[in-house]
Amino acid sequence: MKRYDLIIVGAGPAGLSAAIEAAKRGMNVVVFDENEKPGGQLFKQIHKFFGSKEHKARIRGFVIGQQLLDEADALGVQVILNATVIGLYQDKEITVKTGEEIQHFKGDAVIIATGAAENMVTFDGWTLPGVIGAGAAQTMMNLHGVKPGRKILMLGSGNVGLVVSYQLMQCGCEVVALVDAAPKVGGYGVHAAKIARTGVPFYLSHTIVRAEGEESVTGVVIAEVDEHFQFIPGTEKHFDVDTICLAVGLSPMSQLLKMAGCEMEDNPKRGGQVPVCDTWGETSLPGIYVAGDVSGIEEASSAMIEGRMAGVAVAEYLGYIEKGERDKELAHLQQALEGLRQGMFAPKNRGKQITETEEGIPVSVQLLKYGYVADDEIERYPGVTHKHGIHPVMECTQNIPCNPCQDVCPKKCISIGDNITSLPTIAEETECINCGMCVASCSGQAVFLVNEDCGDGTATVTLPYEFLPLPAIGTKGEGLGRNGKKVCEAEVIDVKSLKAFDKTNLLTIRVPKEYAMKARFFKKYA
Amino acid sequence: MSNCADVVIVGGGIIGCATAYYLAKMGSDVIVLEGSDHIGNGGSSRNGGGVRQSGRDVRELPLVMHGIQNLWPTLSDELEVDCEYHQDGNLRLGKTEKHREILTRLADNAKGVGLDVRMIDGDEVRQINPYLSDEVTCASWCPTDGHANPLTTTLGYYKMARKNGVRFITGEMVRELRTVKGKIRRVITEHNVYEGESVLVAAGLFSRPILSSVGIDIPMTNSLLEALVTEAEPHMFDQMLGTAEADFYGHQTKHGSFVFGGSSGLERFNKDNGTPVTNSKTAPCICRGIMKYFPDLANAKIVRTWAGWMDASADGVPALGKVDEVPGLYVACAFHGHGFGIAPAAAQQLAELIVTGETDIDLSELRYDRFKAKI
Amino acid sequence: MNEVNDRSRDIGEYIPALDDDQIICRCEEITKGEIRRAVHDGMWTLTEIRRYLRTGMGLCQGQTCSRLVKGIVAKELGVVPDQLEPATSRVPMRPIEMYIFANEAKEADGHE
Repeated sequence: MKRYDLIIVGAGPAGLSAAIEAAKRGMNVVVFDENEKPGGQLFKQIHKFFGSKEHKARIRGFVIGQQLLDEADALGVQVILNATVIGLYQDKEITVKTGEEIQHFKGDAVIIATGAAENMVTFDGWTLPGVIGAGAAQTMMNLHGVKPGRKILMLGSGNVGLVVSYQLMQCGCEVVALVDAAPKVGGYGVHAAKIARTGVPFYLSHTIVRAEGEESVTGVVIAEVDEHFQFIPGTEKHFDVDTICLAVGLSPMSQLLKMAGCEMEDNPKRGGQVPVCDTWGETSLPGIYVAGDVSGIEEASSAMIEGRMAGVAVAEYLGYIEKGERDKELAHLQQALEGLRQGMFAPKNRGKQITETEEGIPVSVQLLKYGYVADDEIERYPGVTHKHGIHPVMECTQNIPCNPCQDVCPKKCISIGDNITSLPTIAEETECINCGMCVASCSGQAVFLVNEDCGDGTATVTLPYEFLPLPAIGTKGEGLGRNGKKVCEAEVIDVKSLKAFDKTNLLTIRVPKEYAMKARFFKKYA
Repeated sequence: MSNCADVVIVGGGIIGCATAYYLAKMGSDVIVLEGSDHIGNGGSSRNGGGVRQSGRDVRELPLVMHGIQNLWPTLSDELEVDCEYHQDGNLRLGKTEKHREILTRLADNAKGVGLDVRMIDGDEVRQINPYLSDEVTCASWCPTDGHANPLTTTLGYYKMARKNGVRFITGEMVRELRTVKGKIRRVITEHNVYEGESVLVAAGLFSRPILSSVGIDIPMTNSLLEALVTEAEPHMFDQMLGTAEADFYGHQTKHGSFVFGGSSGLERFNKDNGTPVTNSKTAPCICRGIMKYFPDLANAKIVRTWAGWMDASADGVPALGKVDEVPGLYVACAFHGHGFGIAPAAAQQLAELIVTGETDIDLSELRYDRFKAKI
Repeated sequence: MNEVNDRSRDIGEYIPALDDDQIICRCEEITKGEIRRAVHDGMWTLTEIRRYLRTGMGLCQGQTCSRLVKGIVAKELGVVPDQLEPATSRVPMRPIEMYIFANEAKEADGHE
């Protein structure tokens, strides 16, 4: 039987990262993936990633995917696509379906990096065509170029729900509402804010009563729920939609491990049924490792590190490196992983009621309830300062592990410091040169360049803009507030699309000066 | 709750559940102890669903014929569950002269005890089942055979026994039996001690170590059975199928899926990792076998494969009945992979035996102590 | 390790609910009410539910419904969902045509 040093199942961020680390150390590695395109979820991620440089922050997911593939390729990793691993048997044997045949392979080690599958919730009409998973919507849009629907309601305010809602708007769909049964927004506040400012209403403590339609979805009714998640009569709201998107979490796709006889556990903190494994992914069966979402739901950045850890661990297991080298490498990776698992959204903080930032500033209640920071709340954050002339306004209000803004500012106006989750602060003494790098590099689109008083009764606001078509200079329209409601008249006075901005366009709008700290989005007149 | 009952049954498979049901109907107080977490987790849920007489050893034929005549026809109504019982005949297929000889011998034996079974040629086989390939040249045909759903039947017995007051405890692995003053009495598990006037051991392969604690041994060994299940297909046929060499068998279920068991020849040597696991070589082999008989099924999708341990006895038929050496002890094990069809009759006879000391059907050929050296 | 589970424990009566008609297992078209009634018939494990009703036995092999079924059964039994062991996983991971499953590639031996 054909045998490899290492067989990896799943060519997503974890699998490819593992392959790279193993191949780097001289191992003969094959990666099987059932999809026609590699990269797992990475190629569907068109937004910029959070984190620090070593986590590939401010790079768009699909670019990271391409980088991983190129690196794996250069190292001689075989990535075999359209190859479904149908079974993991005893003695580290797999069977793979490719084309119209099945093949048997053995690996001296096996890494399972099969990722996760979307959860569903039930309501009357949930089986109607038009009710889809958010991941499915992403696949349609970003892999196949198919618009999932025209008018869409999103259920779920976690990062997936928020990111996909934004992408749906980017692809030209109307998102009529973002709904979540939880009382507060689950994902990053900055992701919520960039949706709210375009005018999408958030309905927290609401969920779907029923989908309407005979053949397919034609509408949806939502209603408010009490603290026991029971509907409150009389709170029903109807929306005309043709699509309902569900972003209600993921479950590890761990079936291969279970069928192989790995010890499993049901762990709600890790998203469902996962193999029992050590910190670098070895399961109860020697030589079988796991990495990424299959061993606990997190996100792509941590999956990449977990993959690298598993790759390094396998290299030692098979004698390609010594224990000393492994331990040094793993300690370094562990540190990188810990870096990602910091802040308000860290796994250890799940379910905790957080009322203050690390700096002791009260968190925005409005942001958690409606998706945007209220005008009277925004001034309390350290990135929001006032000065003469153009200066950055950093509407970053939650402690998340992310710091590209401090790296990109050529004048060092912006500082986060050594603690990656700290809120950005503005250095008083340095001068902003209006280069726009902070605006373009903020993965949360939370940075604005503002000139609060141009001397003629107007102010200018430079904002990140990732929609097409781009408004031309001179376009007149509405300045929208953080809540997506019109606050003033506005005119586009500059549009910048530099290569360094990586497809985040900078739109500069002129508004009456009293709206300098209120107008945060531009909508041209219909 | 008291851990004492008239009868303690060790094993929550179809034999345990069905015997408990018939005992409860006769007024007995019964506790059933199942070692795994699930009712019917051994061979009861891991078999091809055959309810057949043809192809059986004559020693167990009277029992299975009794069941098919008296119990199976009304079982769904009785258990208030759809047992999916079909009595549309069994074709035991042959392709070679050697097969014909095997089938003819089996058919002649069965005719000897009054079963309607006869040899037919390839053309007649295809009149009964037009989907069979031309490779099939002969078959034994038993029109009163059939098949049923082992899952719903087993759980149906469990449900009705429970309704009739039987106490079931799962996750209760029996370690040991103990006698009190020369009579069976105690059933000892990891956590508890149960007591019964009578004890029935119906624990499949686990019966052997349990019986050993009271000095009883039934020679049996494990042999793996593997099967596969297709997606639902349009209705094709209702017969139960088997082959002369017993290497392939199955039927189409009410749901539309096909359940086919088969063999790669490696079954006796398969490893276990705590749960019966399929061998990577077996399912492809079963598929190749099926397509030789049913070319039309080539595009059916396989959704699942499964495996189960059979409790194979030294002479191919079960050990069933009273253990004379240990008063109050009864056994029902070593069903050798064909215990499902026979289970209702076996259970009903056991219940009668336990309550009245007598049975309608003579079980003496299935005595636990029948195993002798060959010379 | 298996847990001692006395199936005589009182879990109360089956009480019909308004959403009993809701389909939970899409592949096999099994409703919430059927699942709830099965629990009261004594099917207390996800494996028993599966064998009794066919939930998760269809084309998706429970990918969509297993979590939903688990929630319903747990609620009916008055336990938290992670106390219930999921049903087992079986080869093949994805449905596969019989003629392909049968077609094992001729293999070149040796360590690549």
